[in-house]
Amino acid sequence: MLSERAKKEIEAALRKYPNRKSAVMDALRAAQKDKGHIAKDDMDEIASILEMRSVEVNAAAAFYTMYNVDRPVGKYHIQVCRNISCSLLGAEHLIKHMERALSIKTGETTPDKRFTLSTVECLGSCGTAPMMQINDDYHENLTEAKIDELLKKLE
Amino acid sequence: MHGVIIMATVKINGKEITVQDNTLILDAARDAGFEIPTFCYQADLMGIGSCRMCLVEIEGQKKLQPSCITPVLHGMSINTETPTVISARASMLEFLLANHALDCPVCDKGGECELQDMVYKYGPHKGRHAEKKFKFQEKDYALSPVIIKNSNRCVQCQKCVRVCAEVVGANVLGALGRGDHQEETSFFRHFLDCDQDGNCIEVCPVGCFMRLPYRYRTRPWDLKGADTVCPYCGTGCRMVIEHRDGVLIRSKAQLGVGLNSETLCARGRFGCDFASSTERLKTPLIRRGGSLEPASWEEALGYIKEHIPVNIGNKMGGIASPRLTNEELYLFQKLLRDIFGSPNLDSTARWEPEATEGFIKATGMDEGGVSVFDCMESDSVLVIGSHLSDENPVTDYIVRRIKNTRRMSLIIASPREMKLDSSATIKLRHSPGREAAVLDAIALAVNAGKPSPAEGAALKDAKIEDLIASAGVTKGAVEQIAQRLLAANSIAIIAGMEFLRHPEGIPELGLLKEALKSSGKKVLVMPALDRANQRGAWEMGVHPAFGPGYGPVKDKGLGCAGMLEAANRGDLDMMYIAGADVAAMHPDEEFTRKALLKLKLLVVQDIFLSETAKLAHVVLPGSSFAEKEGTFTNQEGRAQIIRKLLPPPGKAKRDLDVIRAVGEVYDPSFGPKMPVLVLDEIRNAAGMYAHVSLAFNNKRNTENKLDNRHALVQGSATSALSVTRFSAATTEPEGRFHLTTGNHLFHSGRFSRRSGTLLGLLSAAVVEISEKDAASLNLKSGDKVKVKGRHYEAILSLKTKKGSKEGVAFIAENYDDVPVNRFFKKGEPAPRVDITKVTY
Ligand code: SF4
Ligand code: SF4
Ligand code: SF4
Ligand code: FES
Ligand code: FES
Repeated sequence: MLSERAKKEIEAALRKYPNRKSAVMDALRAAQKDKGHIAKDDMDEIASILEMRSVEVNAAAAFYTMYNVDRPVGKYHIQVCRNISCSLLGAEHLIKHMERALSIKTGETTPDKRFTLSTVECLGSCGTAPMMQINDDYHENLTEAKIDELLKKLE
Repeated sequence: MHGVIIMATVKINGKEITVQDNTLILDAARDAGFEIPTFCYQADLMGIGSCRMCLVEIEGQKKLQPSCITPVLHGMSINTETPTVISARASMLEFLLANHALDCPVCDKGGECELQDMVYKYGPHKGRHAEKKFKFQEKDYALSPVIIKNSNRCVQCQKCVRVCAEVVGANVLGALGRGDHQEETSFFRHFLDCDQDGNCIEVCPVGCFMRLPYRYRTRPWDLKGADTVCPYCGTGCRMVIEHRDGVLIRSKAQLGVGLNSETLCARGRFGCDFASSTERLKTPLIRRGGSLEPASWEEALGYIKEHIPVNIGNKMGGIASPRLTNEELYLFQKLLRDIFGSPNLDSTARWEPEATEGFIKATGMDEGGVSVFDCMESDSVLVIGSHLSDENPVTDYIVRRIKNTRRMSLIIASPREMKLDSSATIKLRHSPGREAAVLDAIALAVNAGKPSPAEGAALKDAKIEDLIASAGVTKGAVEQIAQRLLAANSIAIIAGMEFLRHPEGIPELGLLKEALKSSGKKVLVMPALDRANQRGAWEMGVHPAFGPGYGPVKDKGLGCAGMLEAANRGDLDMMYIAGADVAAMHPDEEFTRKALLKLKLLVVQDIFLSETAKLAHVVLPGSSFAEKEGTFTNQEGRAQIIRKLLPPPGKAKRDLDVIRAVGEVYDPSFGPKMPVLVLDEIRNAAGMYAHVSLAFNNKRNTENKLDNRHALVQGSATSALSVTRFSAATTEPEGRFHLTTGNHLFHSGRFSRRSGTLLGLLSAAVVEISEKDAASLNLKSGDKVKVKGRHYEAILSLKTKKGSKEGVAFIAENYDDVPVNRFFKKGEPAPRVDITKVTY
C-alpha cells in the first residue's frame, strides 16, 4: 500500500508531464521512500494511478538498480561498485571484507535488519574509486579501515 | 508531404538500387536480393535495434550499423558481407550462446529454431566462455493454459513483448531487468489472464515461449501441413494446419502471408483440435424407435428418398451453415431450389432474413469487396455495432497496429468496453440496441441539425435531443464525432453483428453513408462478420429472398424463423439442415425444439451430434474444414482457398459429396462433382466471382504485402436487394440489466466448444457487467451470481469491466450449460435480468 504522502507526491509529479505514464520514475521513487523498497502491490497501485499495466511499471523499475523491486532492504543499504575502475582498485577485497564484518553474503540483509549488502555497476565516481553508496550518500577512496570506521558509526 | 515520394539511390554490395527515401537498409538489401540475418526485426513491429545480428558496414562510417533501424541516405554505399560484418555476426551469436541453455534435444523449437539455423549458418562452432551459465529458472513454467516458458533460451529480442503491446493490445508482458539478465515475462511470472492468442509464441525465434498443448508431442519435421484459412470468424486469417499420424496437432500463421501475417487469435491458433475430436460423427444415423442408430449411406439415402418426394416445393426447407464452403453452399441452394423446388433457404438461425438482406444492402456487400487495409487508409474510421476485439480479434489487431502508425481518428461506438478502446480517439458508450439513434444523432450533427436530402423523410421530425436521450449518450460526444467526420476526407465504417440483433439500425447505417457521401466524402463500409463464410453463404444465394450473386429469385421463400413457424403450424413437413445448430442458436430455444419435433422429416448433416442433430430422423456425417477443398469469402469479400489435410473420419464424407449424393438420389446428373468445377459454375451464376483471382492463395510472399485486392469479389450487376424498416424494439420494463449477447473472445457459436483447448481456456460461463454496477450491488469479479430473467435463470461467474455502460449485462452465446437463448422469448420484448450474489 502506498502511503498518503507517496500518493500526494505522485499527484504532484503528474502535473509535470504531458501524459500520465511519464511520471512512472517519480512514482517509483515516491513508493521507495515509504519503506526502502517497492513491493508488488505498490506497482499495481502505481499502474492503476498512471493507467499502465503492472508489468510496464515493473519493467521500468527493474531496469534500474536504484529501485529495490520486491526486495526489502535494511536500514542501511550498502551498494558497492564492482565495475572496472573499482575492481582494479580492490573492490572485490572490500566486498569480502564487508561480508566478513557483517556476517552476511552479498545480496543479504543482517538478521537485525540494519544492513543490506549489494553490488552495483559503475556509479560514475571512478575518479575516486573504489567507492560505495550507503543509502543516498557516496563514500569514496575506500580502504578496509575506512569501511570499519564507517560501519561502526552506523551501528 | 502527402503524395510526394522522394527516392534515394544507394549501392549495396556494389549493386546500385533506387528505393524510397527512408527505406530501411535491411529492406532495401532484401529487395536487392541480399540476405541479412535478424532476430529483433519484424515487419509490423516498431524497430528497437537490440540484437545486432543485422549489422552492416557503411562506407565512410567507422562503426557497423544495425540495418533494421538505419534508413538509407542518397548516395550511401553499403556492404553486407565484409569480413568485419561476418565476424561481428559470429560474435553476436557467441554472446547469445554464452548463457543459452543449449538444450536443443529437449526443446520443442528444435528443427524450426532461428537460433539453431543462424548458428549453423553464421556462428562460431566453438564457444570460448568458460564462466558458469546464468539461469533464469530451473524448470519451465506455465504462463497460461496454453503458454509454457523457458527463459534460459531467450535472445532478448523483445518481439513477444512488442507483439503483445503493439498488435494484440493486451500489453501483459514486459522486459524485466537488463542486459543478459533481462527476462521477458509476465508480472512476477503470474499466470496470464490475457487473450491467450499465442502470438508471443509465434514470434519467439527460439524455444522460450512455447505452446503447452503441443509440448513434447512431435518434432516439426514429422508434421505434414496444409495452407488454409481459419474456420472461425469472418476475418479470414490464413493459417497452416499440421497433423501427425492423422491427428491435427497445431495451426500456425506465416510471416507475410495472408492479411493476418504472423498473427492469429486464440480460436484460430488453439481451437482447431476440434477436427480430431473423438466426438466426431463417423457414420450415418437413422432414428429407429426412439434412438438414433448407425446405418449405411445406402440406408440413409434410401430413407431420405422414401420420405422426401421430388419437387416437394415449399413443404420443405433448408438451412446451411456459414461454415460450409462456397461450393457446398452453392450446391445446397441448387439442391433446394432445382431438385426440391423449395424457395425456403437460410444460412443462419440467428437473424431475420429481412434483416440480413437490409444489412447486405446497407453495408454495400453487393457493390463488391472492401479491403480492411483500404479502410485503414481513411482519415477517420468508425466502428459501430461490433464488439470487434472479441468478435473479430485479428481485425482488431490490424486496426490497432495501423492506427498507431498514422494520423487518423478512430471512433468506437459500443455499449461494452473493449480492448480497442485504448487506441480510440473517441469512444462512445451508448445503450444496447440503440445503434439507430446513435447514427441518426451523428447524421443530424454532421448536417448541423438539418437532415440532408439523402436522409429525407426518415429524419424530418427527428430531434437530436430525443435521439441522444434514446441512445443514452451526451450531445457533446456526438458533436465531437461529427466534427471528426467533417474534418475527414475519407471515412470508413466497420459495422458488425449488432445491426442484425437490432435491425432498426440498418436503414440508418445506409443513411449516414449516403449523407457523408453527399457531403463529398469518400466512404467505405466493411461488415464485421462472426462466421468464417457468412458472406459466402449470402453470395451463394443461401437466402430466401435472393439467389447467387444477390440476383433475383422467382419465388421468395421463408427464412429460418419463418420455417420454424410454418413447421409449428404444420405447414412445413421437412427440413434439411447442414451444419447449423438451429436448436442451440435460434432465439427462443423452447419454441425451436417444439417446432423441429413437429417435422415429419428432419435431415441433419453435421460433424458432431449437435443439439439439432439429436432431434433428427437422419444424421449425415460431414467433414471439417481440414478435410476438404473449397473457398471461403471473408467479411471483406476476399475469396480464399481452404485445403485438405486429412480424410474425413470413418464413413464421414466431404460435405460437397453428401449434398451431391442427396441430389443424385433424385437426379443422377446432379453436380458438378469437384469443388473446382462448382467454382466454375459459381463464376457463371454469380458475376461477382467471375474475375476473382485465387492466385495469391498459392503464394508465399516475402514482401509482407498483405493486401491482395484481386481476390476481392466485384460488384453484382443483378443485385435486387431492399432495406426493410424495423420498428424500434421494446425492452421489458422489469429488471435492472438489459441482457445482450455475442461471441466470447475464445469461442465462436457452439462449434468451438468441441475444442478441448478452448474449453480449457474458459470452462465456466461468465456474465459481464460494468464495474460501477458491480460496486453498487456489492459484487466483484469472480463472484458467483444468479442471473434471473422472466423465462430463465442461471448461475454464472461475474466479470466486471471498468469502461462498460451501466445497466448492461452480457452473456456470450457460446455456453452449452447456460444457453443464452433461453432468456429470450419469441415475439416478446428484449429481456431484462436481475443479478444477485449467490452464497452457499
Ligand atoms: S497470448 Fe497474446 S495476450 Fe497473452 S501474452 Fe501472448 S501475445 Fe500477449
Ligand atoms: S522470449 Fe522469445 S520473443 Fe521474447 S525476447 Fe526472448 S527470444 Fe525474443
Ligand atoms: S477466429 Fe477470426 S480472427 Fe481468429 S484466427 Fe480465426 S479468422 Fe482470424
Ligand atoms: S567503476 Fe566504480 S564508480 Fe565507476
Ligand atoms: S535485427 Fe537489427 S538489431 Fe536486431
